[in-house]
Amino acid sequence: MNFHQSMFGRFANTGTAPAGNKREVGSQLDAESPARRFFRARVFPLLKSLTCVCVATVALLGLDRIVPTNLFTIVYLIPVVIAATRWGTWPAIAAAVAGTAAVDFFFLPPIYTLSIDDPQDAIHLLLFLFVAVVSSNLASRLRNEKEALRQRETELQYLYEFSRRLAACFTIPDLISAIQNYLAQTLGQQAVFFVAKADGQFETPNIGAAPREVEERVASMIANIELPAFTIFDEPSQSVWLLRAVHAETAVHGVIAVNIGSGSPASIQTKTRRVEAILEEASLTLQRLDIGKAMDEAKLQLQAQLLKDALHGMLSHELRSPLAAIQGSASVLGSAPAIRQDDRLRSLIEAITDEVQKLDGFIQNLVNAARVTTSSVEPRREWADPKDIVNAAVKLRSRRVAEHRVRISFDHDLPLINVDSALIEESLGQLLENAAKYSPSGSVISVVARAESGRVVLSVSDQGVGITRDEQYQLGRRTFRSQRHLATVPGSGLGFWIASTFIRANGGTIEISSRGEGFGTTASIVLPASREISSLTLANE
Amino acid sequence: MSKSVNVVLVIDDEPKIRRFLRAGFELHGFEVHEAENAAEGLKLATFNAPDLIVLDLDLPDMHGGEVLERIRSWSNVPIIILSVESSEEQKVRLLKLGADDYVVKPFGMAELLARAEAALRRYFKSSTESSVVVAGPLSVDLVTRSVSLDNQQIRLTRKEYRLMHILATHVGLVVTHDQLLKEIWTGNQRDNIQYLRILVRKLRQKIEHDPNDPRLLITESGVGYRLQSRLES
Repeated sequence: MNFHQSMFGRFANTGTAPAGNKREVGSQLDAESPARRFFRARVFPLLKSLTCVCVATVALLGLDRIVPTNLFTIVYLIPVVIAATRWGTWPAIAAAVAGTAAVDFFFLPPIYTLSIDDPQDAIHLLLFLFVAVVSSNLASRLRNEKEALRQRETELQYLYEFSRRLAACFTIPDLISAIQNYLAQTLGQQAVFFVAKADGQFETPNIGAAPREVEERVASMIANIELPAFTIFDEPSQSVWLLRAVHAETAVHGVIAVNIGSGSPASIQTKTRRVEAILEEASLTLQRLDIGKAMDEAKLQLQAQLLKDALHGMLSHELRSPLAAIQGSASVLGSAPAIRQDDRLRSLIEAITDEVQKLDGFIQNLVNAARVTTSSVEPRREWADPKDIVNAAVKLRSRRVAEHRVRISFDHDLPLINVDSALIEESLGQLLENAAKYSPSGSVISVVARAESGRVVLSVSDQGVGITRDEQYQLGRRTFRSQRHLATVPGSGLGFWIASTFIRANGGTIEISSRGEGFGTTASIVLPASREISSLTLANE
Repeated sequence: MSKSVNVVLVIDDEPKIRRFLRAGFELHGFEVHEAENAAEGLKLATFNAPDLIVLDLDLPDMHGGEVLERIRSWSNVPIIILSVESSEEQKVRLLKLGADDYVVKPFGMAELLARAEAALRRYFKSSTESSVVVAGPLSVDLVTRSVSLDNQQIRLTRKEYRLMHILATHVGLVVTHDQLLKEIWTGNQRDNIQYLRILVRKLRQKIEHDPNDPRLLITESGVGYRLQSRLES
């Protein structure tokens, strides 16, 4: 499906586009004026080889008496070989012809004319011309091969350096800037990268970086793996732009537009090949990055899962089993008549039970924290009665709030809520526990469940130390504990964080309000409710 | 209970747990057999014909759930599950597999004994026994279909009685939402737990002294409901 849009086909219809100023900036290097370039590439070497012939002639004229006549032609081979190895075939042939003419003109009788008297001299001269042309050809071919080898070597060197640089790329933006830099450095040309967006279109980096025609072409492209390659000739700047997709095996990361300047079709082809080699190298690296990224993610997830399992197993099994044995044994002891009848002994058993429950609460907190940190909490939602949730939470924490007077009140017609009851119970329990911790024993903790405008609010109010504005701000942090109570109230600071995470997972929020330090705190769990239940009530009968 | 001495089989790999379970059950007149792994437990369950099995889920050689399934394939003996895992999903799954009830570690002996007695009562209940189920101030006559609270007869709607009946026949034991929905409703209503929640609210209005603080019809969150056999002090 890959079709080439030939650059030659584009020549005709680009003229009408007005030239932007910026386009010319990038191609200054080769726009140094074609006449001068032609002069430097073609005329200069010719002049130099002719100069060599002149030098040889002057030298021979000076050494006329010493050098035998039949060696003259051999001396003239020197400029030919020099020209062939330095400047190529044409200067060498020019040197051969000039040399022949010089021998004839200066040294073969009649001297100072271009005619020859002796036919042997003529053969001699023709032989010289033949040898000179052949050797110039051989020498220049050698030179070309050497040149090609050197160029190949530099190219390989560059490519090697490029792939080394790619190996150091760990993100896709790194890679893209590496490609851009590399192309700019080695080809001395601009490269503009159009990043693929989520919707399959390409983003233009900054308007005007590439010719309008290139931008328009990119805008009409849709990102997919079989993206065609384009070659566009931009007339105003007299340069050729290549458009190539940069992609890994499965995803297109963008399109790169490279200005490869102007030149003969052969040199355009060479540059195109080079750009393609670079992009191929880059797409291999992209593949590696894609795979690497996926593997990193999988590894992280596996580690998190392992950690979670280990923590969960250790906490629940290794710690809870001994607790179970302690609590069970204590409860058996407590039911023995001898102990049941002795108040002092019975209070000891109760103390054991209380401590076991406290420890179990801590373990539950750690299990919950592990659950919250290693994976997102996925609530198992089910329609529940808010009253059941409040009662269960209070009952679960009954021993922790035993020294307070807990007052529960419910709105008359509470709607059902679609939540994971266990998570809400746990969160409400945390709020209760905090209320008990931060308010004097004997004071009232009131728990209220009410319905208000499509929401169900479960609130816990205490008559305790209250909360300052600053503390309120810090409450959501993972292990926030107020500096005011660090020394006097035990705790890990995990509770509130877990509670708010659980509530958020159920689509609700926790709101804290306090009339200030010393005036008590109200913590409210706000959950979305459904009112459709009233119609269900009727259908029930 | 029909036998003079009930035999309980404890299958748990923790010696210290077995030790207090033995003490607790023996203090209440049970005869106790112990197994420290699934293989031994299955063998004892087959040959010693226990009246009750207390089964720990984390056994070294086999998961407790599988032990439960194997025993259920040939026996209706009451089975109570011990577990450190307290996920509602797992509880429901075990109840569906045929467990009579579960207790989450750590627990007190009184709680386990209450479940054990409820399970035994249901297991040994025979037609010759009284058809009246008593739960604290509440009594339910399963034959005459009358319900009374503090000796005052109360009127229930058909669905309310259906719920009452199922809970009374399982008095002391948890009954899952699924089971209740399937036995009370028909058609697509039986998947809708909201009906059940509302029905429970109404029933509580009639049988609880304080419907906002239920003591008889207890919610087991995420699992089901339980009719307490006696009021907690």
